[in-house]
Amino acid sequence: MGGYGDVQMIDDKGLRMDGRKPSECRPIEIETGVVPVADGSARVRWGLNDVIAAVYGPMEAHPRKIQRQDRAVLDVRYNMAPFSTTDRIRPGFNRRSREISKVTAEALESVVMLELYPRSKIRVEIEVLCAEAGTRCAGITAASAALAHAGIPMTDLVVSVASGKVNGVVVCDLNKEEDNYGEADLPMGILPNSGELVFLQMDGDLSQEDFKIAWDYNMEAASHIHEIMARALKGGDA
Amino acid sequence: MSIPLVPELLRKHLADLAESDLRIDGRGRFESREISLEVGILPRAEGSARVQMGNTIVLAGVKFQLMTPYPDRPNQGGLMCSAEVRPVAGRSWEPGPPSPQSIELGRVVDRGIRESGCIDVDELCIIPGERAWQVILDVFAISDDGNLFDAFALAGIAALRSAIVPAERFEIGEDYPLPVSKTPTMCSYHRVGGRYVLDASKKEELGGDERIHITLGDDGHVHSLQKGLKGIFTTDEFEEIMEHAIERCSELRDLVNNAIEK
Repeated sequence: MGGYGDVQMIDDKGLRMDGRKPSECRPIEIETGVVPVADGSARVRWGLNDVIAAVYGPMEAHPRKIQRQDRAVLDVRYNMAPFSTTDRIRPGFNRRSREISKVTAEALESVVMLELYPRSKIRVEIEVLCAEAGTRCAGITAASAALAHAGIPMTDLVVSVASGKVNGVVVCDLNKEEDNYGEADLPMGILPNSGELVFLQMDGDLSQEDFKIAWDYNMEAASHIHEIMARALKGGDA
Repeated sequence: MSIPLVPELLRKHLADLAESDLRIDGRGRFESREISLEVGILPRAEGSARVQMGNTIVLAGVKFQLMTPYPDRPNQGGLMCSAEVRPVAGRSWEPGPPSPQSIELGRVVDRGIRESGCIDVDELCIIPGERAWQVILDVFAISDDGNLFDAFALAGIAALRSAIVPAERFEIGEDYPLPVSKTPTMCSYHRVGGRYVLDASKKEELGGDERIHITLGDDGHVHSLQKGLKGIFTTDEFEEIMEHAIERCSELRDLVNNAIEK
């Protein structure tokens, strides 16, 4: 969080730079089947974010040492394409993408019924093609849609969204400027049917009151995103 | 890459088909899959393109950086092409450092573009010995159903042709289109069932033998050749595909020109 208080991001009418109300998400579109050779795939376009996820498997886990006798292993990779940001990203893993891959895997492991596929592996590949703040949320959302599109049994979908604070106002679904210059960022991974959580991070500075508002914004946004995801999965090309 | 399980059966099937001059997906020997080419599809890239040929889908993005010219070439900027086939693109592409296959892909695409001289590195110089543009072309596979070579080359040159030099962002004048004087295009031929076919699918690659990649410039000049994989070919066979490549590369060039003019 930059915390530059002098960057004006909320106008006198209480609207944000892109015209949204504080509780409003950027436009979201979800589509399935975008990687034809994969067993399941999804694309999430969310503001300028353009993220695809592909699922391969369940397949044999090799080498054998990675096999688990009682369940499948979920192999998740989050990566940003070199041309996805203003400054080119050098190919290869970095600490940020490793951490996001790890927390994403742990979020998805909580819902995928891995015990149905002992000794096998399910690969989840998340690729950010264009980034505009909130790529980890878009990635988790795309991955859960891709798993569902692949027909892999899950106890619930996962919808991820972040709220935060800019110029002292709690806002939902931060855009790039709000993320860069805002005061806080609270991404959550929510199970839309039960309202439970499988992913949570936060950085910045939020009072207990603001924290509760941000939490509630995320919950409301999750049910909105869930509707879009359900529509894509039901009416998709699958 | 994991060892494919099906090749022997697939090989035999492809050879049987070839006897009646057929291909596994019903195409003619020198018939390409339908190609769609779009430019300007990546908002964060200064130039971009998406190519789809059947179920093969690739993206290309151009980024610019400032560099200090190399001491032995103080008046030149730089051009770099990099190809990545990440495991998103298919079951057979595994995570880890770039495989020899993906390095070959990047280098063959790079040579076709570089050797055509379509980008004049002298024009990329801003202040001799001090500052110059480095043009970086990244090609990226979304879905590999065969013949990534041609898809990468096509997306690559289309992305360069659509690129805008972001001078304003670097506070050195106004943005301007990257000068690209030629449009090199690539055609790849795989030996499948004993004879060469154009634009092999993944199945044909798996059950086929060697491949030959030909990059030709606007005037039909040859800019890059590559023979890949184990196999033997004759002068007559090469002459036949070269003759076809001259025609096909020029059709691909028209495709790029049309996409840019749109």
